[in-house]
Amino acid sequence: MTPPRPSRVLLIGVSNPLGVEVARRLAPHVDYLFGCDLKDPISALEEMDFVHADTRHAVIGKLIRQLQVDTVVHLAVMVDSPHDQRSIHETDVIGMMNVLTGCSAPSSRVRKLIVKSSQAIYGAGPTDPSFFSEDMTNVERPASSVTRDLLDMEQLASEFALRNESCQVSVLRLGFRVSEDTTLARYLSLPVVPTFAGFDPRLQLLHEDDAADAIVRAVLGAHPGVFNVAADGVVLLSQAIAIMGGRAAPILPPYGRWMARLAMRALTRVEVQAHLADVIAFGSVSDGSRLEAAFGWKPVYSSRAVMDGLARGKDLEVIEAPSPPQEYELQVYLQRRRREARNGHRSVPILEAHK
Amino acid sequence: MLALQGLSELSVRLKQLTGRDVIDLNRIMEFVQFLYKQQALSRRGPNYAVDDFGFDPQWTESFLSGFLVLYRDYWRVETTGVENVPASGRALLVSNHAGVLPWDGTMIKTAVFAEHSHPRHVRALVASLFMGMPMLSWFLRRTGQTIGHPDDTRRLLERDELVLVFPEGVRGTGKSFKDRYRLRRFGRGGFVATAIRSGAPIIPVSVVGSEEIYPMIADLAPVARLLGLPYFPITPFWPLLGPLGMIPLPSKWRIQFHAPIHVENNPPEAADDQNLVMALADEVRDIIQQGIYDNLKLRRSVFL
Repeated sequence: MTPPRPSRVLLIGVSNPLGVEVARRLAPHVDYLFGCDLKDPISALEEMDFVHADTRHAVIGKLIRQLQVDTVVHLAVMVDSPHDQRSIHETDVIGMMNVLTGCSAPSSRVRKLIVKSSQAIYGAGPTDPSFFSEDMTNVERPASSVTRDLLDMEQLASEFALRNESCQVSVLRLGFRVSEDTTLARYLSLPVVPTFAGFDPRLQLLHEDDAADAIVRAVLGAHPGVFNVAADGVVLLSQAIAIMGGRAAPILPPYGRWMARLAMRALTRVEVQAHLADVIAFGSVSDGSRLEAAFGWKPVYSSRAVMDGLARGKDLEVIEAPSPPQEYELQVYLQRRRREARNGHRSVPILEAHK
Repeated sequence: MLALQGLSELSVRLKQLTGRDVIDLNRIMEFVQFLYKQQALSRRGPNYAVDDFGFDPQWTESFLSGFLVLYRDYWRVETTGVENVPASGRALLVSNHAGVLPWDGTMIKTAVFAEHSHPRHVRALVASLFMGMPMLSWFLRRTGQTIGHPDDTRRLLERDELVLVFPEGVRGTGKSFKDRYRLRRFGRGGFVATAIRSGAPIIPVSVVGSEEIYPMIADLAPVARLLGLPYFPITPFWPLLGPLGMIPLPSKWRIQFHAPIHVENNPPEAADDQNLVMALADEVRDIIQQGIYDNLKLRRSVFL
């Protein structure tokens, strides 16, 4: 089946750096690009129409119908987030439900749905195989709340895919990333890194560029299904710490995870979530061969290269520095002026323009 | 350097005087090499690569001298048939398992690395239980072991590695001394199915001597359950002598690598034929059991 070329694309959760990067890469390939999020994007994009919307409310469904989009990219999935369990659950599961409701309405024109998920869905434990392939989501294990939310979310997505055959659903399980301000990056950047005594797990790290690239390729191609987006190779935790120039301090007790997390927060002020604590103890590596076979592409940066990049501080240079709200408004205003000057007339509101 | 020169002169003098090697220079050179390797390890910093399973060959080889001492001097392992192990390409080594702690695995690894014309690293599969233990999980992974999961076995074989599997698992290591040299059930033949699917020959391995290193008189099951272990052994020395009781006894070992069984000649669908799989598993088991009897006859006594 040849993929219907995406024409009207809605990016949900566009304000984080990943969303902005995806929008920037997608803009030249699609006719109309819409974005929505709670906050303003960290940088404005001329080709994108932005609106404030909350996936936790049913309004998102109305937005999808009203904009008459044919492709929805759902990036508003929180994995590594300082929010409490409850709001993460609301965003991930209820948000997904609302988005799917919007996509499955009778009048819906959505033919393609891309969902951002995470490798955190596998959890991490001592009895796990060395590589997670896509069918190894272990639901029996007492999982951390994030893992449970992701499982619920993907369950909703796969049920939707079964019921709506006209809509292609691609779920991308992105690997752990250490750029920007992720917890893992902050943890590894500590001068003295508390680790679990007697454990030195393998880490697999995905580069931001590869994450954005995978999402864009999923939007432009036709790859229904669930895919791990995983970098080549692994680094050991001790190796990663040494690359960052820190020192590993194996002081956390190997048993009693919550105690270790409390100690970590008290010692370092880095709040390591439950699923991440398991990763730091047992490691989590997923197998990206299905993605490679389907997409004909695989992440460019190896785990080691990602780690080296972080150490050089290259990845710390954000795509564009976050700007205060006024500056965003100013950017939007200037863009509108430019657009008007180019078109020679006032731009009409988007909803009318595309009827 | 000077000390080494002095030592070599002394060794030559003593040899002239007594007519035999009093100080074995080779051994001393090995020890010096060991120190150098450790020094090189500490110097490399984070500039090393592990494979996807977390295996660090340089780090592993730095310990080889230590295991060689155990191999040659402590258990005086006599290895036969090591030429049956292919110099390259995949193969599945299947061995009997005994002796409370998995020393037999380390000795098979040492045998292949030290005695084979093309030294290779054997990747053993260990029980998931050990992967949750502090220190042990770290050491096992870094020296090339991985978890005994069919998916891991397949991946290792597809990378043309030598994989060592103990189908008896903890049933083998945890059996009492009176059951020594009697093979336990060989699982459900999963290793045969994996070998057929991956197109790898099976090489049966018989190990004699591992049974006597910790003669297990009894198993305190309640204590084991409390500690989350598969068994809690009672030997004449453990837990009576405390940590001293953990020193294995210096029994005499023999390891025999048998001729490969070419299960890879079967089509991959044969892996789903439970009859064939069980028949092949039994064949492997019989070869190992027969090998154990043969080697027991060849061994003069338990400790000589």
